Amino acid sequence: MTLVTDPLPSTRQAPTGPGTGRLVLRHVSKAFAGAKVPALDDVSITVEPGEFVVLVGPSGCGKSTLLNIAAGMLKQDAGTVEIDGRHVTGPGPDRAVVFQDHGLFPWLDAFSNIEFGLKMRGMNKSERHDRVVEALKMVHLSNAGQKLVHELSGGMRQRVAIARSLVLNPACLLMDEPFAALDAQTRTLLHAQLQELWMTTKKTILFVTHSVGEAVRLADRVIVLHSYPGRVRRELKIDLKHPRDFDGPVLQEMGHLVRREIEDEVNRVNASMAGDFWEPKKAPHLGAGVGGMGDGI
Amino acid sequence: MLVLAAWETGFRYQALLGIEWRSYAFPYPTKVLDAGLQMLNVNTFFQDPLHAGWPTKPADGGETKLIQGPVYKSALLEALAVSGVRIALGFLLAMILGGLLGILMWTFVFVDELLGPLFLGLQTLPSVCWVPLAILVLGINEWGIMFVLVMGSFAAVAISLRDGMRMIPPIYQRAGKMLGAHGWRFYAYVLLPASLPALAGSLRQGFSFAWRSLMGAELIFVVKNRGVGFQLSTARDFADVGQVVAVLIVMVSIGMAADKIVFGNIEKRVHRRFGLAPA
Repeated sequence: MTLVTDPLPSTRQAPTGPGTGRLVLRHVSKAFAGAKVPALDDVSITVEPGEFVVLVGPSGCGKSTLLNIAAGMLKQDAGTVEIDGRHVTGPGPDRAVVFQDHGLFPWLDAFSNIEFGLKMRGMNKSERHDRVVEALKMVHLSNAGQKLVHELSGGMRQRVAIARSLVLNPACLLMDEPFAALDAQTRTLLHAQLQELWMTTKKTILFVTHSVGEAVRLADRVIVLHSYPGRVRRELKIDLKHPRDFDGPVLQEMGHLVRREIEDEVNRVNASMAGDFWEPKKAPHLGAGVGGMGDGI
Repeated sequence: MLVLAAWETGFRYQALLGIEWRSYAFPYPTKVLDAGLQMLNVNTFFQDPLHAGWPTKPADGGETKLIQGPVYKSALLEALAVSGVRIALGFLLAMILGGLLGILMWTFVFVDELLGPLFLGLQTLPSVCWVPLAILVLGINEWGIMFVLVMGSFAAVAISLRDGMRMIPPIYQRAGKMLGAHGWRFYAYVLLPASLPALAGSLRQGFSFAWRSLMGAELIFVVKNRGVGFQLSTARDFADVGQVVAVLIVMVSIGMAADKIVFGNIEKRVHRRFGLAPA
């Protein structure tokens, strides 16, 4: 277990400093018992400090497996995971995870849920209180601290879960399809709020999603995974300023690109399983190159 | 109520109905009522037909005191106090023993495989079957009663706690570890609260088993302190069928009250807190 020895500066602080929150996955492989093909095969990904990287790919490509390995909840068969040069051997508060189904403790109210990690560190009560109040403010839930988990809406629960992670001032944030269970409106709202949070805290974020729209909106870099076995298929850099206009034409184009990439991947898998390849018609307006990147394969 | 009324009417007009009611073998409601009140030191004559001074004076007009003695010194209340102390201690013991075993069974698969089938088997064993062993090993004393009580209920506690803890979503454990809860903190701040619904359920289950066992044990053990179960055996010895039924009613009422009012409410509150039940 990695010991967290930082002096716990305020969560609202500027970036923890250059060179912190660098997440490196080196030659990670993982095969589940009974599976013919490994879930992950020699995957190497580096997330630079303060970078927002999104993993996408068809279901079964191992993106959640990869995130769980980074979180230390799953043991890789080969390869290493490092955060700022320290080897990851188990789950810990330096790599805070935001789960799809929030994982908030139903026996605690929102305030105590956020406070939990600080309490585990043995922080004194008044300091904890200040931190939690600040974290609640960050996710715009200042008045919901006394609410029990089941009294919060789905979106509020995810915001509490994000606050619970951020309050620990982790080196990086691992988000496993955090908005997948939410309705479209709430999701859009949370995209904007997450961007805002990310820009103020400058945390390194590794984010897994099914949604291409979500990926291109949020990411500095989108990594499309290859499935059976899980590998990196393609990386797309999205050089757009944050906060972004989610309906802007460039994002639309990027979305098409990523979607094509995933469609091809799904097709490739289907073809390899059934021996039949279906070629999608190219969208007519997708000409050569957005940002000189081509339109996929 | 209607059934009771019909029952009583049937007794009153048995000649009319052409049946013979052997009331010494088969009590009627007012007889049970009289017997029950008598155990509370209150003398009533509901069972006698209507007459002057009814129901507080006997039919022959003789003098009887309505109140035989202080209610708190009545046989029933003293028996309840004795049984109450026994169940409190015994149930506590059973919860501790069953709780620890339940947690062990949940944590270690081999413990579960070893003890699980045995404990399920123990649940099919009527608790009174422990009495002979208790008498031979511990003697006819409080310890013997306690032994029967604990043996009759700890397995149920262990099994229901294990089953309940298996229902804890694994995400709480992952979240707890991620937030830095390790060692005893993980048990105290994550596992224990997460198992509260399970614990509430096993409390309820355990109590009904414990109460059952205690009544059985008290029925057979004749010791200095006389519990509710002993009242039943006294009634049998005096062939007082009214009292037999009255004691049975007390036993069931207490079981029901504890289950519905005490443990049911604990369970309801926990479930409400966890959002498992409509608020």
